Amino acid sequence: MKYKTASRLRLLLIAIVSIIYIFPFFWMVSNSFMSDKNIFAVPPRFIGDLLFTDAMFINYKNVFTQFNFGLYTFNSIWVFSLAAIGQLVVCSLAGFALSMMRFRGKNLIFSLLVITLMIPVQVTIIPEYFLFLKLNWLDTYLPLIVPSFLSGAFGTFLLKEFFSQVPRALFDAAIIDGVNAYQMFFRIYLPQSSSPMATLFIIAFMNNWNDLLRPMLYISSRKLYTVTVALSQFQGQYEVRWNLLLAGSVLSVLPLIIVFAFSQRYIIESTMSSGIKG
Amino acid sequence: MKKLTTFIVILVVVGTLFAAGTKEAKAEGAPITLEWWTWDPTMAEENQQIIANFERENPGVKIANTIVGTAEYWTKIRIQANQNKLPDVFTMSSGYIEEWAKEGLLYNLDSFVERDDTFDLFYQSIFDTNKAISNSDSYYAIPFALVTTVLYYNKDAFDRAGLAYPTDGWGWDDFRSAAKKLTIDKNGDGKIDQWGYWFYGRYAHVEPWIYANGGTLLDRSTMRFSPDKKAMDAMKMLTDLVLVDKVAPAPKDMSAFQQQDVFPQGVAAMWVDGSWFVDTFRKNVQHDMRWGIVRVPSGPSGSNTLTYGWPDSYALAPNTKHPEMAWKFARYVAGEGIGLDTYMAGKIPSAKKLATDPLFSDPNQQPGKDMDLLIEQAAGPMTTSYSMGWGEWRGYGGSEALGLNGTIDAIVNGLMSFDEAFRRSTESINAVLKRYYK
Amino acid sequence: MRHTPYRWHKPLTPWVFVLPTVVGLLAFKLLPIVSALYFSFTEWSLLGSPLFIKLANYRELVSSEVFVRIVRNTVQFSFVYVIGSMVFGLALAVLINVQTRGIAFFRAAIYLPVVTSAVAVGIVWNWMLGPTYGVINNLIEAMGMTPPYWLADMKLALNTVATVQVWKMSGYYMIIFLAGLQNINADVLDSARVDGANAIQSFFRITVPMMASTLFFVLTITIIDSFKNFELIYAMTKGGPQNASNTLVYDVYLNAFVYYRIGYASAIAYVLFIIVALMTIFNFYVRKHLVEGLD
Repeated sequence: MKYKTASRLRLLLIAIVSIIYIFPFFWMVSNSFMSDKNIFAVPPRFIGDLLFTDAMFINYKNVFTQFNFGLYTFNSIWVFSLAAIGQLVVCSLAGFALSMMRFRGKNLIFSLLVITLMIPVQVTIIPEYFLFLKLNWLDTYLPLIVPSFLSGAFGTFLLKEFFSQVPRALFDAAIIDGVNAYQMFFRIYLPQSSSPMATLFIIAFMNNWNDLLRPMLYISSRKLYTVTVALSQFQGQYEVRWNLLLAGSVLSVLPLIIVFAFSQRYIIESTMSSGIKG
Repeated sequence: MKKLTTFIVILVVVGTLFAAGTKEAKAEGAPITLEWWTWDPTMAEENQQIIANFERENPGVKIANTIVGTAEYWTKIRIQANQNKLPDVFTMSSGYIEEWAKEGLLYNLDSFVERDDTFDLFYQSIFDTNKAISNSDSYYAIPFALVTTVLYYNKDAFDRAGLAYPTDGWGWDDFRSAAKKLTIDKNGDGKIDQWGYWFYGRYAHVEPWIYANGGTLLDRSTMRFSPDKKAMDAMKMLTDLVLVDKVAPAPKDMSAFQQQDVFPQGVAAMWVDGSWFVDTFRKNVQHDMRWGIVRVPSGPSGSNTLTYGWPDSYALAPNTKHPEMAWKFARYVAGEGIGLDTYMAGKIPSAKKLATDPLFSDPNQQPGKDMDLLIEQAAGPMTTSYSMGWGEWRGYGGSEALGLNGTIDAIVNGLMSFDEAFRRSTESINAVLKRYYK
Repeated sequence: MRHTPYRWHKPLTPWVFVLPTVVGLLAFKLLPIVSALYFSFTEWSLLGSPLFIKLANYRELVSSEVFVRIVRNTVQFSFVYVIGSMVFGLALAVLINVQTRGIAFFRAAIYLPVVTSAVAVGIVWNWMLGPTYGVINNLIEAMGMTPPYWLADMKLALNTVATVQVWKMSGYYMIIFLAGLQNINADVLDSARVDGANAIQSFFRITVPMMASTLFFVLTITIIDSFKNFELIYAMTKGGPQNASNTLVYDVYLNAFVYYRIGYASAIAYVLFIIVALMTIFNFYVRKHLVEGLD
């Protein structure tokens, strides 16, 4: 009996805590449906006054047409999909070598990758900027895509860990069949790894989507903006009201929430396993 | 095998992207192509029209216009400078002329200006303001417009309060007493619903008052920050509006608004900022609210005939291959060849024929004949405090929360006393200036 | 099923596999770290070419009152962030470590801010924390209290941003703690209960010691993550008021890409690098000598 009440209390607590985490999202959405007048109402209204009126989506329409969020969303989707594919390529290759092969320098590469995870991007951003300047890559998507095809610490660790857990019997059988290293990777290991690859794709995609500093520095033409940069510039623009700004925020967050809704099991599982290994 | 194919496809895609990144290298048939960079994306169509006209009048010349948004313009153009690839003609701002001229990144226009009787067509005063800002004896940029600072006032609020509209003859006392009467708690909840005035540490909010009181911020002989008594009086008067008179809100209470929305939303009845907001208000406020412009009130030790105003200009690359044609085109876009419809309302054309166009003070648009004031200001004396490192010490753009801007905000937000704030900021501002003027 | 790899492949084959990674590490990590050191000894505004000025940037840093304050802010931010994330992460994990219908929903709800961009998070919190129109201050006023200026008060701004960052990220640490909790053998807890230990006793006597390595892992990553505050500061305060919420990572951006002081910004970046490097070494040391002994 005692156990049950405690559990009810706990459920109540969980509900309260969840509200604290959900409320800002609720507020973002409800305020994005406010008219120019109501957004500055005191005390604040909880439900957007435009909801279920003819002008319901006027803020969203504005953000989409006048401020081009449709284009920016499209930019983000294809650029960061490509970058995420890059991560799959480079991380699976490196993860395979690091987990299954023996060679000198392996530990060094491993340590360098660990250090990569530690260093804030601001330490290396200035020389990186000049590298892209010298390559004449500024104001193209190359600085946002190419590095993703060249090393990724998180993904390498994720896949290295996965590959080392593939049953030994598979490996041994393949060796007996006389496969070489490339066949081993492409035919035996890669087909096994769709689930961690999907996880890595989504995590890489989300991280890039939310990144601000790099796209802000490397992209200057407005038509090439990513959603996150557009939103941050939108914040300081003339003629922007909170209802529009919040509508823009919703639009920038929505694609990720949809992806997350479908993939949360994978994402949360991969977070869990990173802790156990740690 | 399928995986391998995908892999190869990806490699090809990436390879193409690499190739796309290096682009360029198009050879045009025309003997001359001029690169022209501007910073206003809304002007794309007008620019194309200008180019079409110019190319028709000058066969064999092609103009390539690149428009970069204002926020990104300076980083991008700096990179062009760094790469020795400055466009032949490009928009230049007052805040950078001195530094760029000193670095040898702007074409010295003196010989052209002298040779071509430039001042028959353009106001010399605007050119000279540019020269003063460049801290040199040469013309390094050709101004296409001047912007000034004015007092905006809400006519409806004045009518409701039964007050006479402000005039150019106003002094601080007239201003303060009106501001008091315009500060109103409409519903009696103890909170002010309409403030008399509104400002924060922004350059266009503060400097106009300083100059209209005859004050200066910089000691031009030593190039150090050293506001004189008249300048300090003006800043004290402003900060007291918040702290003592309570006729203006503290900026921290206005953080929900974009700064330029406070006045058009009716939250403040008066406001001082740049004349280009005429354009913003015409587009956004329309006829919901009647408003006017007038000179910023004179201080007790100065006169508002001295205006805070600065030009927007075109500059020529120092290594342009076609200086003659670049100069011709720059003059053309600076006013000779264009119409008033390509100007942002509130920016005063530097070309006499445009400034005297009757449409400049279009009676059918707010603020009607008040617009004549801008022409008067353009013809009169002007001053600024631009220097190298101005953006940093003044607190402008990305560093708006810092510098002198942050100092004044700290005072009106009640974080520091007036004296303490200035003691601190004088030191840090001079640390910036010392780097540029050793 | 782990096995020690032996050499079943040609000696050079692994290098084919790690080639892109090695190129990436060289081009985007090692080379930048070395050249940042060079830049930090120069003065350069992007116009013209870098001027070698030896240690002048570092001398300026040391004597700058603002810089000292920024270092202090950085430490304070990390402190608030690490403590907040550890406490909330663990508390949330303990709270949510139950099997009941719908628990996955709550877990996802708490995780949601983790996948949301810091810019959007900054915007919505700015709006909620604002004076006059902000929902939080209106709530506080309705309770008869005077709300503070969350972002305009010099004493509060940094802590406010750090707290929002904790809110954003605590779901992530919660999941890691949850994994650690679920790794604890349920029998041990059961037998403790049989022995008459109450919930609090068993939490501190059994759960915490058994989670030592998870705790240490989260400590390590929260410290690393605590430096990654650029986006939120950019979206919420831009370092103001009066540098009250300016941190090293933001100051690098400000000096390099707003003031165009490339050399000075590189010196700041290097100080940041050294701080992070020291932290990392310290971590490895503690791990080697303390935590492994506990396991």
